[in-house]
Amino acid sequence: MRPLTVVFLASFFLVAWVGTGNTMLSEDDLQAQTKEVAKTLRCAVCQSESVWESNAELALQMREIIRERLQQGESPNQIRAYFVSRYGDFILLKPRPIGLNWLLWGGPFILLFIGAIILLVSIRSWTRDTLAVPLEKMSDLTEEDQKKIDLAIRTFKN
Amino acid sequence: MNENSGGLRVWHIVLLSVILGLLILFYKGLYGNPSFIPPVLVGTPAPRFEAPDLYKKERVTLDQFRGKVVVLNFWSSWCQECKLEHESLQSLNRQYGQNAQFVLLGVDYQDKEDLAKDYLQQYGNNFQHIIDTQGRISIDYGVYGVPETFVIDQSGIIRHKEIGPLVGETYIKFTREVIEPLLKEKS
Repeated sequence: MRPLTVVFLASFFLVAWVGTGNTMLSEDDLQAQTKEVAKTLRCAVCQSESVWESNAELALQMREIIRERLQQGESPNQIRAYFVSRYGDFILLKPRPIGLNWLLWGGPFILLFIGAIILLVSIRSWTRDTLAVPLEKMSDLTEEDQKKIDLAIRTFKN
Repeated sequence: MNENSGGLRVWHIVLLSVILGLLILFYKGLYGNPSFIPPVLVGTPAPRFEAPDLYKKERVTLDQFRGKVVVLNFWSSWCQECKLEHESLQSLNRQYGQNAQFVLLGVDYQDKEDLAKDYLQQYGNNFQHIIDTQGRISIDYGVYGVPETFVIDQSGIIRHKEIGPLVGETYIKFTREVIEPLLKEKS
């Protein structure tokens, strides 16, 4: 065999090997990655379960597609993007923080912020009302009150 | 004091609006139709497919219908709602099947071939069907239940998706507002 032919064949097989991407994934790795992707996708016909947990026919078929695409060298994100392109964001168990989905992520913080503002305003209002009473006015005892206090002290001492 | 009171009033309105907005969104989420999922494929090129015909020993592709209005109906023999719409589908084919621009194609979804054939024998059949045994076509079309019907225009773009059976008012609206205008369009 001529050296040029050897180089050509070697290049061909190298390109073919690179093109197949993750075909070298071990069975364990493949299973782990399939599980990782399937756990993030919603079973479209059962809703409360992930594709990994569900035994529905559709979930089994989706797992098979995930496995095949991983074998073809696609990344977990590319596979998720494929399912989103078919089913929309609904298929993701964890909604992406885009558009109105921001409210899902930010809603609790917005409510917390609103609560903090209400609390702050209430405290300020309460403090202002309390301080509005002059200190000397607060201790302005009448003669009669003073007599009652003195009497109480004397009774206590005796 | 008056300025502060005015400021507070503005704050109150803003806060109340935000709270009200959030409450409306949560209410919509709680009481909206949980089975409604906005179709994402409408307006995009229809995924290509190649699948075996239910009866003939031939493979059917979407490409062979290019230039026609294709109505793709996903059904199954175990689906009760499919039985409801089956007569409507046959009417649809009787009404438009003679038009060279129209194709109605059934996609048998997660089913057994013999059960599908029994079903069609029992309920009648006047259009072509393909089998999607491994669910590849249905997943490619984002199908999450049957019946679902897609309408693909002459240039291969998905123009409409109907979730649920095509019966009564839905059928009339489907033919008047989707099929007829599309058949009038030029490819």
